[in-house]
Amino acid sequence: MYANEYLTGEAELAEYVRPRSLEEALAIAGRGAKPLAGCTDLFPATDRPALGGALLDLTGVEGLSGITRTDRGWRIGAVTRWAEVAGAALPPAFDGLRAAAREVGAIQIQNAGTVGGNLCNASPAADGVPPLLTLDARVELASAAGRREMALAEFVTGPRRTALAEGEILTAVIVPEPAGRGAFLKLGARSSLVISIVMAAGRIDVAGGRVAEAAFSVGACSPVAVRLPALEAALAGLPVAEAADRVEAGLVVPALSALSDLRAEAGYRAEASVVLIRRLVAGLTGGAA
Amino acid sequence: MTYVLNLTINGAAQAIALDDPRVTLLDLLRERLHLTGAKKGCDRGQCGACTVLVDGRRINSCLTLAVSLDGVEITTIEGLAEGETLHPVQQAFIEHDGFQCGFCTPGQIMSAVGLIGEGQAGTDPERIREGMSGNICRCGAYHGIVEAVLDAQATFQDGVKRKTA
Repeated sequence: MYANEYLTGEAELAEYVRPRSLEEALAIAGRGAKPLAGCTDLFPATDRPALGGALLDLTGVEGLSGITRTDRGWRIGAVTRWAEVAGAALPPAFDGLRAAAREVGAIQIQNAGTVGGNLCNASPAADGVPPLLTLDARVELASAAGRREMALAEFVTGPRRTALAEGEILTAVIVPEPAGRGAFLKLGARSSLVISIVMAAGRIDVAGGRVAEAAFSVGACSPVAVRLPALEAALAGLPVAEAADRVEAGLVVPALSALSDLRAEAGYRAEASVVLIRRLVAGLTGGAA
Repeated sequence: MTYVLNLTINGAAQAIALDDPRVTLLDLLRERLHLTGAKKGCDRGQCGACTVLVDGRRINSCLTLAVSLDGVEITTIEGLAEGETLHPVQQAFIEHDGFQCGFCTPGQIMSAVGLIGEGQAGTDPERIREGMSGNICRCGAYHGIVEAVLDAQATFQDGVKRKTA
């Protein structure tokens, strides 16, 4: 169960392994075991009888959990649970991420589900993605062959698709020291325990009464959550009092390629996105929408 | 291969041998250990009827791989009362009509115990509702549930005050 012999490749792969070291975990992942952590998405997304093959439980791996500050910014371990993110002492730029953490399912889910799982499962409605996009987050990936890093925006490539290679696991999210204050809003059929129809995250840094930097993202509308570069450029440099009024559909909707599905039609999503973004901008610049 | 799992369940240490590592905590509790208080409502983390405490934290046992919990302490509804004396949260649910058919009640009560333990809910009914939002009641006993949680929380705080006074 905690076998070191996986490192030499001699042991037969068990149906379930919970290694203590990253080195062992990577050796096991390299042999095709399915990585798991909180399991909050694994069970609903998999037919129980079809949960075949070897399972690699990452929850016992040392160094994969917790939030630390490094010389490169903040490091959120992949197995950090959403409840820890919600309660973490982080700068105001992370307020959007912390608000999103409190909207991941309900507390029972937040006590089990992890940041890394949210990203690797790559649901178009993953609550963690838009706020992390506005923080210019990067992901750290590791395999027995080595480590690499990429922007989160490149990591999620489609619905339930990521850039993870065979035998590779996500080990951490890296957020370079972010400026300003963040916020997050989620629109669902009820106020909690719900999959988003639309969600929006924003971060604004104000200097001298003007918008110095703006970062905005919309999720659950498109196959992959997107940043809104046209809106960000339009807001940059504006006096804060004028920012919310500057939000218009033309700066938001073209970036979305909004989808219709069982939760909402594309037109409704597009309209709701603009409303959520305007509220975020108003909140972040001190006005009311 | 057999997996041996060491758990403390409602205060009693147990070593459980698992032939299938894919069993959920809920199935282990109900089918193997005959602790049928935690209910299988939706079996996908949407109703909260299977809520139990793992090291004091609320989780959905239907979404939890039992084998990954080696070494933890689990509390289920069966572990709350002391003999014939109900736990204050159980007592409050009765006093405030916090249930009708009773199917969701074990999950509601475990969730309420977890919520009070988190110490974040305060006396604001809206925050109680938010904190209890992972537990669905099809009978709609929500009003009584919120009243029961507020009352039980006050009982605990009184107890703490008396102890520290």
